[in-house]
Amino acid sequence: MTVAELEEHLAPIRHEYADPRSLILPALRYVQGEAGWLPPHAMAAVAEATGFSQAYVESVATFYDRLYIDEVGRYCINVCVTLSCMLRGSDELFEHIADYLGLDGEGTTADGMFTLARVQCIGACDRAPCLQVDSGVQLGPLEPADATCLIDDLRAEPAPARYDR
Amino acid sequence: MPELNCVYRHREFGDHLTSLADYERAGGYLGLKETLALSPDDALYAFHRSGLRGRGGAGFPMGRKASFLPKDTGKPTYVVCNADESEPGTFKDREIIEHNPFQLIEGMTIASYAVGCERAYIYIRGEYEAQAQVLDAAIAEAREAGRLGPDALGPGRPFDITVYRGAGAYICGEETALLESLEGKRGQPRLKPPFPAVAGLYGCPTLINNVETLASLPPIMHRGPDWYAAMGNEKSPGTKLFSVSGHVLNPGNFEVVLGETTLRELIYDMAGGLRPGREVKAVWPGGSSVPVIGADSLDVALDYEALNGVGTFLGSGGCIVMDDSGCIVRASWRLAQFYRHESCGKCTPCREGTGWLANILGRMVHGEGRGEEDIRLLESLFGRIEGRTLCPLADGAVMPIQSALDLFRDEFIRVAHEGSPRPVPMTEAPVG
Repeated sequence: MTVAELEEHLAPIRHEYADPRSLILPALRYVQGEAGWLPPHAMAAVAEATGFSQAYVESVATFYDRLYIDEVGRYCINVCVTLSCMLRGSDELFEHIADYLGLDGEGTTADGMFTLARVQCIGACDRAPCLQVDSGVQLGPLEPADATCLIDDLRAEPAPARYDR
Repeated sequence: MPELNCVYRHREFGDHLTSLADYERAGGYLGLKETLALSPDDALYAFHRSGLRGRGGAGFPMGRKASFLPKDTGKPTYVVCNADESEPGTFKDREIIEHNPFQLIEGMTIASYAVGCERAYIYIRGEYEAQAQVLDAAIAEAREAGRLGPDALGPGRPFDITVYRGAGAYICGEETALLESLEGKRGQPRLKPPFPAVAGLYGCPTLINNVETLASLPPIMHRGPDWYAAMGNEKSPGTKLFSVSGHVLNPGNFEVVLGETTLRELIYDMAGGLRPGREVKAVWPGGSSVPVIGADSLDVALDYEALNGVGTFLGSGGCIVMDDSGCIVRASWRLAQFYRHESCGKCTPCREGTGWLANILGRMVHGEGRGEEDIRLLESLFGRIEGRTLCPLADGAVMPIQSALDLFRDEFIRVAHEGSPRPVPMTEAPVG
């Protein structure tokens, strides 16, 4: 991603904000969609395109759970473990997925395909236990077998051009 | 009690009002038409007369909040819709956005006319990307039809809406943290005053309301504030959305007239009740940040005052139900973990205190508790956290745990000595 490309992406929305600082989050999300996470050169591009320092951009990025300052897998499997999901089996679902992926709890698979994370309420308690692949539709209620199928399907799919995060 | 589809109007139209044409056929934009026939001040007065209270959690009268915005400051005025729906157990706004987005857009247009705003924002949580795309499409369609854009409020009177995506932070549902985030900063709450009405987005007068609050305006303005005020009771008029989840057979969203339905009816008649042989043990009726109540409070009417009367809050309407298979200490531990994770770190009592709560409850659950000493330690923490921070997150962490300890003290003491084995969770096909 070049700074020019990022500026081109931001150009149509610049007028919507009285302060260009508001462009930092949209810019971070955009470059993350391209790179999958926020490596230093992505932070630098956001800094240059928005006119703020890289240190400031990084200070913003580190606040938000869904902005990744460390490399993550091709897909992030975000399992909600907050109360409503816990009552309906989220811990068991999480453990099943971890076993299936060969992970000891949260982490990224050796092939870089999946990052498994426990996340806080994703606003789909009616579908508990639920999970989200990246920022996709909240999926649930899920039996362990459903999650296994989902992971198999993701493995079989051709990788999309952009990351959905 | 029957449901009344005032905000969930889509439920009377095949569950789907996602095209502008369908929304208009269903009576959409009649509220705006009535509004534009009034002066902005008269529109504000109509909000006030309806008695509508903020539906995000605090329940502050919407018309009063809107009337706090100073006029003729020479600065722009902003309307911001809080679609950061992150309170555990709450998923009511998601349904409005997914199935009835134009009612929110119309409501924002109405509010913006009344306070003189030309550019409004919907701050939507990053996890609601699928829902944000529904809003993007609806806004594009409204623009195409001239409902948004240079002449949205009449010839030469512009109004438009920008969808702004968060990136994963519960605290951004707190209105000043939301504004910080929208301004491109870390989402940490501001010291109040000044309140957002006076110095909000970019230091300008700003009205912030929840999705449900704004989506309530079209029917209020179409059918009249007196019609709305006549529903429910004097202090809690109108309808309210409740999300019911946890150990119920039919989790989902339900719209009820305030004061006319009991918690028992919500759980048993609307949300399908519990598994055979199970009884209600604990309910967090207004999201996870409110005091928990027990089975002896099930006959409380669902309105602001009645819920206060049994020691809790209506909050966001995110009603989490736990049956007698659940462990209250384990549930409290899980909530403490939530608040520890979501504390923004700005205020020490919250940053440190939520961690202490989570650690103590965690060791109790895992059989490593220190007996009565841990109970006393927990009790000594509450007052050192609650009321000592800039925003209500810390209070929201303390209230469900303190109330649980009050209500289920014996169980806390037992778990502090013995731990708590993980119960069999409720699944789609109940075990045993």
